[in-house]
Order: sequence, then structure tokens, then C-alpha cells
Amino acid sequence: MIHPLAWLIWLAAELAVLSATRNPFYLAIAIACAAVVLLCLRRRTVDAPPMPLSPLRFGLVVLPLAALFNALTVHIGRTVLLRLPATLPLLGGPITLEALTFGALNGLALTGIYAAFVVLNGAVAVRALVGLIPRAFFPVAVVTSIALTFVPVTLRHWQQIREAQAIRGHRIRGLRDWLPLFLPLLVGGLEHAFQLAEAMTARGFAGAQETAGARRARTLIAGGLLALLFGWLLWLGWRQRTLGITLMVLGGSAVVASLWWLGRQRPRTTYRPTRWYPRDSAVALASGIAAAVFLVAWPGLDRSSIFFYPYPALAAPGFNGWIALALGGLLAPALLTAPTQRAWLFRRTPGEDEVLKRDATVQERSKVGSMPSHALSVAVRQPDVECPPVPTGEPQ
Amino acid sequence: MIIFRDVSYTYPGATRPALRHVDFHLPEATFALVVGRSGAGKSTLLRCVNGLVPHFSGGTFAGRLAVAGLDPLSATPRVMSRYVGFVFQNPEAQFVLDRVEDEIAFALENAAMPRQEMRVRVEEVLDLLDLAALRERKLETLSGGERQRVAIAAALAFRPRVLVLDEPTSQLDPQSAEDVLNALVRLNHDLGLTILLAEHRLERVLQYADHVIALPDTADGARGVLCGATREVLPQLELLPPLVALARQLNWQPLPLTTKEGLHFSRALAERIPLAPPPTAAPRHGEARLALRRVWVHYDQQPVLRDISLEVQRGEILVLMGRNGSGKTTLLKTLVGLVRPTSGQVWVDGREVTGEDVATICRRVGYLPQEADMLLFADTVRQELEITLRNHGLLERDATIEPLLAQLGLSAHAGRYPRDLSVGERQRVALGAITVTQPVALLLDEPTRGLDYAAKEALSALLRSWRDAGMAILVVTHDVEFAARTADRVALISQGELIAEGAPAEVMGASPLFAPQMARLFPGRGWLTVEDSLRGLGVTDRP
Repeated sequence: MIHPLAWLIWLAAELAVLSATRNPFYLAIAIACAAVVLLCLRRRTVDAPPMPLSPLRFGLVVLPLAALFNALTVHIGRTVLLRLPATLPLLGGPITLEALTFGALNGLALTGIYAAFVVLNGAVAVRALVGLIPRAFFPVAVVTSIALTFVPVTLRHWQQIREAQAIRGHRIRGLRDWLPLFLPLLVGGLEHAFQLAEAMTARGFAGAQETAGARRARTLIAGGLLALLFGWLLWLGWRQRTLGITLMVLGGSAVVASLWWLGRQRPRTTYRPTRWYPRDSAVALASGIAAAVFLVAWPGLDRSSIFFYPYPALAAPGFNGWIALALGGLLAPALLTAPTQRAWLFRRTPGEDEVLKRDATVQERSKVGSMPSHALSVAVRQPDVECPPVPTGEPQ
Repeated sequence: MIIFRDVSYTYPGATRPALRHVDFHLPEATFALVVGRSGAGKSTLLRCVNGLVPHFSGGTFAGRLAVAGLDPLSATPRVMSRYVGFVFQNPEAQFVLDRVEDEIAFALENAAMPRQEMRVRVEEVLDLLDLAALRERKLETLSGGERQRVAIAAALAFRPRVLVLDEPTSQLDPQSAEDVLNALVRLNHDLGLTILLAEHRLERVLQYADHVIALPDTADGARGVLCGATREVLPQLELLPPLVALARQLNWQPLPLTTKEGLHFSRALAERIPLAPPPTAAPRHGEARLALRRVWVHYDQQPVLRDISLEVQRGEILVLMGRNGSGKTTLLKTLVGLVRPTSGQVWVDGREVTGEDVATICRRVGYLPQEADMLLFADTVRQELEITLRNHGLLERDATIEPLLAQLGLSAHAGRYPRDLSVGERQRVALGAITVTQPVALLLDEPTRGLDYAAKEALSALLRSWRDAGMAILVVTHDVEFAARTADRVALISQGELIAEGAPAEVMGASPLFAPQMARLFPGRGWLTVEDSLRGLGVTDRP
């Protein structure tokens, strides 16, 4: 498994490339890389859940829509395809090939961004992603994880409500007609939140009472951030370099120390900590290089092809082999998976999937089987007699 | 292990107590079943065990409690979570994370348990609930039964001494429910875990319980809570599964709890009655109100319905049964246009409607989905009905609404907020909202979920009265006892294909999975209900 931080760096690189250029060649390469990574992920995941909307379908809808919208609303460009009457508000004027092309390229970039997020959703478990949040922000992390788990549930509810209202003859004609859809969704969401709160309480999760120490630490974080800001202003605005840097170092230290202290106040363990392996460095490096080529000027590298712009007159976009090669770094997650996970690259023989699933099951069972079963039973038969001390929070 | 001493509890703002003078004692390693009508306070009683009532809910509490030597009132739910595992009705509503292993470890991570200890505990619950092969799976890809087992595993992670479950099988098909119940029996027998379970479908769980706690109807304050060994309490209960109801009628002693025990009595009785072939369905030549003709449906290139041809006649109740994922709901959705068939035709009331708009079809066909609550959003029960009429461009006449409200037993609730009503009443409001257009046909998807025996009987009677008035009714259900009482004809579907169709006695009597208790007790007789059996045995029904 690739480290979630490496996945985030890959995502950031994809987003940087897709936002920085409108050159169709580079956009296509970045999207192709995301598609290959996605295919690789889905092939190696047993019983992958269905995607709510595949990037291909997303692209087939968004690309023509973006092209049409831009062509109808932006009347710049030399190659006029047709003219709409000037009396039409917003839409009236020349419809140009340049505007149509630029809209389509925007649609292509949006499709790429969507594909990159689909990849991240499939690749990184909610727990792993939330695990990246510093321990001092533990409540934020829990809320984030719940919110992420809520999304698929809410989407499913939305679909059920739409169907339920359709069978009552409901049709959307105006703003008021959205009420029968939103109200059950809202009430259902609140009921779900209430049930979840109850379930979490039953599982021993309770909000910690804020101590005086925690309040002081939070005040110190705010003070530290202010010191950082003032230090920066002193350095850049008033040329007080030494004073500015000193203030920034002090502020930064106060923030880091407060976060560290707050984290220590919340004893919490991690069931399966994610480790950083050399392949994670490779993914981060390859993605970083791909992004850097698009964001920073490099001596000796002709980057003019990145800044392709169809206005005022459409011309063929440029292409630089080195830039394309650097973009290939976005394929790293697909290439750097473990050997068994790369099996999809080769044609599988019929029944091979079954063998892979069976092997995986045998491996899992053998892990459990290696533990003495009587020890497990005894362990469960003799439950904790004494209640372990409650780590933080709620007074007893 | 669990002691209730004169416990009474009233929810904040409520005028009547939810629990009144509850008093019982459950020994260690008991498998106890909590029974009672909807609204009798089963969930409230369960929530007292881990302190959710009154710590989470507020309200007024009186009496004394002891669970595993602790008082849940002075200890908080947080402390009680180490001793009492709690599993809710809907597993989806209690998940915090998205993968099996992460979900089980969540509470342990919060309690700052050392990693090594945590690994051991997660492994043991994965093993106990037979989930090891699913450990990496996303929860959304699991079946209902698997999700409920994950919820139980998460509740067991702290190695509690008591496991409390609030209707854990109400949303499961018979096979998944069986898997969950078998897991519970294993935990009770092998580990000595005390189990406290609330359930409506007694025929599913009664055989596993060694104790029963029966709560009286809250309106009936006269009778107290009954608690004791299953066979001692059963004769005093009003709501009983068919096997026990028959045994009580025929004075079988000791009361049988399983079909195997019942067969000792039934064989001797049935031997005296000559075997007659079960009734077969006479070919119907009525008016087909609903028809599917050679219908195929595909999802993502996978066939979900394969060459289905099915008709529901005027004045007929057809019950469709099959395992989860066999295509039952898809078939209903295809009939009302929510799913477009890849090929084939859909006919309603003698007219082809394939490809027509959902709203247009639903003017003639009422469809009650599984999640009936999704239909409700208006401020009052009456408005729910009016809105449907308005949606279809029909007149909102009292002459249409009032008789329907009366028929549904909702006249007294016409001005109430629908979501404040009980499960059975909410379902009837939803039924009203889809039948106010006076459709020629009605489709119901799992209409008995969460209903007690009385509510189910009322629903069955209502459907039969509509059937007698000429409506064609198609019901999809896992509830074999409900099907046995209600169906005129039964069809079985498996992997998108119709595999059997005919008279209930013919189809259900021969199916090991879908046979009701009476068919198992008197095989080959074609008796499906207690009334059938008493009639067949020549016994007059005694009150």
C-alpha cells in the first residue's frame, strides 16, 4: 500500500498540472495517467464498490457542456462559426471556434480533476486520510471521518427520496418543488446524526471537557499565528529583517509546541500505523517533478508549450518531449505497487481471479490460525473485572 | 448479571412513562429475549442497561439498576461501554469509518489501548464473528448480514460481559438473519456472554432464548413485566409465533420452541388424518392489471432480470419471494418505470406503458418502497394525501380523503405530524399517500419490516379488503408467515429468473427456505397458517 501522504502529493501534482496548462496534449497525458492508476486500483481491489459516476461519463457530459457554455457566453476569437442576434442578452454575438475550443479544454481539465479525486477516494481509506491530521485536532479528525462516511449514505438517501417522490407524481417545475426532496433528506440526515451520536456514546466515545491548560494552549496558538503574521509584515513591509525573523521563529515555535502539548493530552493509539517506504518517496518524487516542471521555470527547458491559449486565433499547440516525459511521473503509483498487485498488467487466465481471492483468504485465515485459539477463548471468557481508567475527559 | 429494581422512566416532555415499575433479575450467561408490542418500551429498557437512558436521552428516572456489578446511573455510558456492548437496529447508522478492521478498532484506538493488545482483540472478534476474510473490505460492499456482524464485532472489541441488541435482524433476509443469530448463539454458548435481544419476529429467535422478558402495552398499566424461563413465560403472552400459538391451542406440554420439538406432537396427530394433495392454483382467466412480458433488465451489462413474464390479475394478491439481490425490488421498479427494461414490455390495466414517465404510471399503480419514510415530508397526515392528489392534478376532495383515512385507521391522526407516529402508523400514512389516487394496482416492497404481529395482521386484513374490492396487489417480502396469511398466489425468484409460481401451499410448502412453521410441522398437507392446521385437524379455534 502506498502511504496516504504520498497519495496526497500525487493528487496535488495532478491538480497543479491540470490547473496550470490548457495544452490538450499535456492535459490528455495527465488524464491518461490518472485513468491508468484508477484501472490498476480497481483491478487489484476485490469487490471494489461501484463508482457513483465514472470519470468517462463525467467527461462525456461536462466536456460538451463546458464547450457550449463558453462558446455561447464568450464572444472573442477570430474564427467565427456563426452569429447569434445581438438582441439576445449574454448569448448574442459571434460564436467562435476559439471560445468553443477553450471551453472544451476547460471541460477536459475538470474531467481530469474529477478522475484524480476518484483515484484518491478508491486508494486511501478514510481512517488513513484522517490519520494525517495532527492529534491535537482529534475532534476535527473524527468529525471529518464521519462526514466522509456520511457522503455515500447521503447520496443513497437522495436517490431513494427522488424515486419515492417521483412515484407520488412529483415533478420539478419551480423552486418550491425542491422542498419534498430536501426536507426528507434533511430530516433523515438529522436522524442519522442522532443515531450515530448515540452509537458513539455506547462505544465509549465522549467529548472531553476543555481544561484550563488546553485553553492556554489554544490562546498560545492564536498568539503564535499573530506573531508569525507580524514578523512577516515587519520583514517585508518595514525591512526589519532580524526582528521579523525572530518574531516568526518565536511564533512558529509557540504554535508547534502548543500543538505537540495538546496532542499529548489526548492519549490515543493507532491500530495499524502507516509506514513510509522507499516506494512512497519514489511516488512523491516523481509526482513532485511532474508538478515542478509546470510550476517553476527551469534553465534550458522550453516551457512555452505549457502556456497554450487558443485566443485570439487558434493555432496548433506545441509539444515538448521532456515535459511529456516528466508528466509520466504521474504514473508512479501504478508502477510502484507490490508485485502481486501488478498482476493486472498481464492477461489473466480464466479462473485466476478465483485463485487470487482464495489465496488471499487462506493468508488471512493462517494469520488468525497462528494464534492459539484456546488463548483467544480464555481471553474473552475472562472479561476485564476492573474498569480501565478513562483516559481523558468526562469527570467520573 | 442484570438487575432492574422497580425502574420507571419518562422521556423529557412525555406525559406517560415509557417504563413503569420494571423489576427483574437476569443471571449470568443468559440469552434473554425482550418482547412486547411496538411502543411498549423495548428499546428504552435496552438503553437503560448501558446508561444511554437517562444519560443520553435525559428524562425522569426512578428505581435501581445493577449491570455487571456496576450502577449505570452513577457510571457513565463511557464506563459502561467496557462492560456492555450495544448493537442497534440499523448497522449503517452506527459506523464511523469505512472499512471492517478500522471500524472494529475505532473504540480501542480512542481508549488508547496499546497496539499489541488491540491487534489481539481485533483478531479475536474477527475470528469469533467469522469476518477474517472480509477484514479489508469497505463496509458499503458488504451484505446486510455481514454489516450487522461487523457491528456486533465492534461492540465486542472491549470484551464486554453483556451484549445488548435492538432488533438486529429486522432488516435482514432469512438467511442473513440466521447467520447473525447463529453467531450470537455461539457467543452465548462458547463464551458465556450474557445476551439481551429485542425482536418482533419471535419465530426467528424464540428457539435460542432461555429467558423472556415481556413488556406490557404501555396503555395497559395493570399487568407488570413478565420475566422468566422461556417456557414459563410463553403461555402468558398475547403475541406468539404460529408454532407456539398452535401448541397452546392444542395444549401441547411442554410447549415446543422448535419445529423438531413440535414434530413429536404433530406427527401423532397428523397420522390420523388421511393425506390429501395440497391445493393447486386454478388457472386464472381474469383481467391482468399488471403484466411483464419477456422483460430483461441489465445493470452495468449484468442481467438482473432475465426473460421475466408475470401477471397480476384483478382482485388477486401475488407474493414474490427470493433471496437478497435476486431482483425482487428491480422487478417492482420496472413495473412503475423507475427502471427501464433492456427489452420486453410492461403493461398496466390493459395498456402498454414501457418507457412511460414514472409519475404517469404511478397515477394508476401505487408503489410503497422499502423506506416508506422517504415519502413523508408534509406537516400533517392529511396534507400528505392532498399533496399526492395535487401532484397528479387531481381534485383534493374530502370525499376521496376521509374514507381512505378511516380505512387506514388514521382519522384520529389526520392533523398530526407524520414522523411523530409509530412505525406501523407511518407506514399507513405512506400507503395513504400512494393510494389516494385510487390506483388499479398496488406494489409493496418489504411492508412488514419493523412491524409487530398485531400491525402485520392489520396490514394483511387491509390488503385483503382492497383485494376484495378488485385491486391487483403484488407484495415482495421475506416474511414467510405474512406471505402464508396473505397470498393468493406465490412466485419465487432467483438470480433474476422466476423459478416457481403457483398456489401458496404448493410453492411454499415445498420450499425449505420459504416454508412457514405450519408447513414444516405438517409437511405435505398444504397447511400454512394456524387456522389451516386447526381446520385440517378438525379442531375448533379456541380463544
